[in-house]
Amino acid sequence: VFSLFRGLVGSKNLTHEGMQPVLDKLKDHLIAKNVATDIAHKLCDSVAAKLEGKVLGTFDSVATTVRTTLTEALVQILSPKRRVDILRDAMEAKKQGRPYVMTFCGVNGVGKSTNLAKICFWLIENNLRVLIAACDTFRAGAVEQLRTHTRHLNALHPSDKHGGQQMVQLYEKGYGKDAAGIAMEAINFARDLKIDVVLVDTAGRMQDNEPLMRALAKLIKVNQPDLVLFVGEALVGNEAVDQLVKFNQAIADYSSSFNPQLIDGIVLTKFDTIDDKVGAAISMTYITGQPIVFVGTGQTYTDLKSLNAKAVVHALMK
Amino acid sequence: MVLADLGRKITSALRSLSNATVINEDVLNAMLKEICTALLEADVNIRLVKDLRENVRAVIDFDEMAGGLNKRRMIQSAVFKELVKLVDPGVKAHQPVKGKPNIIMFVGLQGSGKTTTCTKLAYHYLKKNWKACLVCADTFRAGAYDQLKQNATKARIPFYGSYTEVDPVVIAQDGVEMFKKEGFEIIIVDTSGRHKQEESLFEEMLQVSNAIRPDNIIFVMDATIGQACEAQARAFKEKVDVGSVIVTKLDGHAKGGGALSAVAATQSPIIFIGTGEHIDDFEPFKTKPFVSKLLGMGDIEGLIDK
Ligand SMILES: Nc1nc2c(ncn2[C@@H]2O[C@H](COP(=O)(O)OP(=O)(O)OP(=O)(O)O)[C@@H](O)[C@H]2O)c(=O)[nH]1
Ligand SMILES: Nc1nc2c(ncn2[C@@H]2O[C@H](COP(=O)(O)OP(=O)(O)OP(=O)(O)O)[C@@H](O)[C@H]2O)c(=O)[nH]1
Ligand SMILES: [Mg+2]
Ligand SMILES: [Mg+2]
Repeated sequence: VFSLFRGLVGSKNLTHEGMQPVLDKLKDHLIAKNVATDIAHKLCDSVAAKLEGKVLGTFDSVATTVRTTLTEALVQILSPKRRVDILRDAMEAKKQGRPYVMTFCGVNGVGKSTNLAKICFWLIENNLRVLIAACDTFRAGAVEQLRTHTRHLNALHPSDKHGGQQMVQLYEKGYGKDAAGIAMEAINFARDLKIDVVLVDTAGRMQDNEPLMRALAKLIKVNQPDLVLFVGEALVGNEAVDQLVKFNQAIADYSSSFNPQLIDGIVLTKFDTIDDKVGAAISMTYITGQPIVFVGTGQTYTDLKSLNAKAVVHALMK
Repeated sequence: MVLADLGRKITSALRSLSNATVINEDVLNAMLKEICTALLEADVNIRLVKDLRENVRAVIDFDEMAGGLNKRRMIQSAVFKELVKLVDPGVKAHQPVKGKPNIIMFVGLQGSGKTTTCTKLAYHYLKKNWKACLVCADTFRAGAYDQLKQNATKARIPFYGSYTEVDPVVIAQDGVEMFKKEGFEIIIVDTSGRHKQEESLFEEMLQVSNAIRPDNIIFVMDATIGQACEAQARAFKEKVDVGSVIVTKLDGHAKGGGALSAVAATQSPIIFIGTGEHIDDFEPFKTKPFVSKLLGMGDIEGLIDK
């Protein structure tokens, strides 16, 4: 007779079996929100491991306990362990008499050049002078795309508003040339002209394309940029994992140095196109442990935001 | 393509049926789980995957069925029917007609590969001695006209566009009119990238479509796309009359399963796939032969209902 009342008054230990149905549901939920399947698995496993054997609070259900723990884990993943402070670091570089160099890399068509232009706008709004290095010497129209942005940006910030100084310049050598070499020339050019920041645009490339990945590694090795930004689109599904693993690996392997540079941060683009399917943010930060430095939320210069981890997790768990 | 890559996994999952001495609910569930995991890893839309699982389960009634062989065949054929449904919308793609203008409009999300693929398609027809040309109706993206111009010039394809006109409707209409008069047979119109969340961009797409009355609208989809594809593809189809799909960037690691939901959402077949950045990295895609090749793999031959 007493066993009838046990569930009410006694405390209950969480078991793997007890949590499984809830975890399965949550896993499918994460996948539907575009978290990579493998990462959705791992997240749910880690929640199970964390909770197994714990005592369930009197008023808590298994479902809410699991949800809460998962939510916390997600916030944790998205909370940067390291703050990337570009403006501060750029000022620091300026004091040392050298330009601050940022390189943008990623697969084809994700928004490298456009978000480079948005970041350029943000930099000049903060009164830093910028040199854009046109190191995509492959894709048709890549140079003209950057030239157009340079023109628009200078029109928005004319030199007479900045003590006669031109705020953005383009360094380009047309098509077909070696990207690493152009980046180096651009950095030297910026140093000579005391330009504050160099933004290096690179051609899109597939993570499995070995010659192109080697070329990127070379560009990074030779020029040692202050910041290597990986640009990934929020639309990407399971590929997010493979892209980041292989870009990191390639930069490390081919650079053949003892202390290879890796991806320092992520630009998450096209965030305006995915409604609440925000899972790519989780996949990308989970894999790299690096912060999402910028979020692209549209096609104009002001569509650049910083990540709101809480809001993303809220959309994810909704 | 996802299904081709999945072939091996599916074969092995199905083989678990042949190896099992009794085929019961557990065996079926284990096999379905394996297949569904593989599909999800390839970015196939989770709803489509769930449908597939339910539909296969619905076919099989363990109480009613007799012999093992019968069960096995029924399960295998049910799985295949569902897989085929993913790539085959059951409609035929528009076929251009020689000797008359065929107007083809490209639409799709930002950066999916429209401009690159436009030139590939024009070049494909050019090589087959069609009179093909390109119209750049993207007035939004920086450098869009230069991009198309450089691609077209390299491939010796006549093109039309403008550095000063800002209205894509005007350019599209003027370009199409001009090339029609000149007797071109394949007139391909490139448009800006857009997404459903920005209504004005969708409205612009409709206006271009109304102005040029395309014979075929091609929705260009990137193979790396994940779960967001379905809603976008559906929205494009609701706004304009999408008739075909091209999946790009299949030269990478991506299996293109996310892009497959565009087939279901637009009820349109895949007609070509893009396999690289160069003009030749382009292959016709024929649903039926693809499917029969898939079905012809290994010991799964002849499983579909004859
Ligand atoms: N909606 C939306 N579109 C974006 C965003 N960022 C970039 N785009 C669009 O995506 C398309 C591709 O952008 P690009 O900057 O050319 O991409 P990329 O990575 O430089 O491309 P490649 O150099 O060819 O590899 C353009 O149409 C951009 O306007 C964003 O945050 N939101
Ligand atoms: N690897 C690979 N890259 C491709 C393929 N198709 C296109 N690309 C690349 O993808 C990027 C974007 O292609 P675009 O043709 O500019 O895309 P789009 O849809 O016209 O872009 P928007 O006009 O900005 O919307 C470019 O770097 C292309 O070279 C492909 O099949 N494989
Ligand atoms: Mg670019
Ligand atoms: Mg384009």
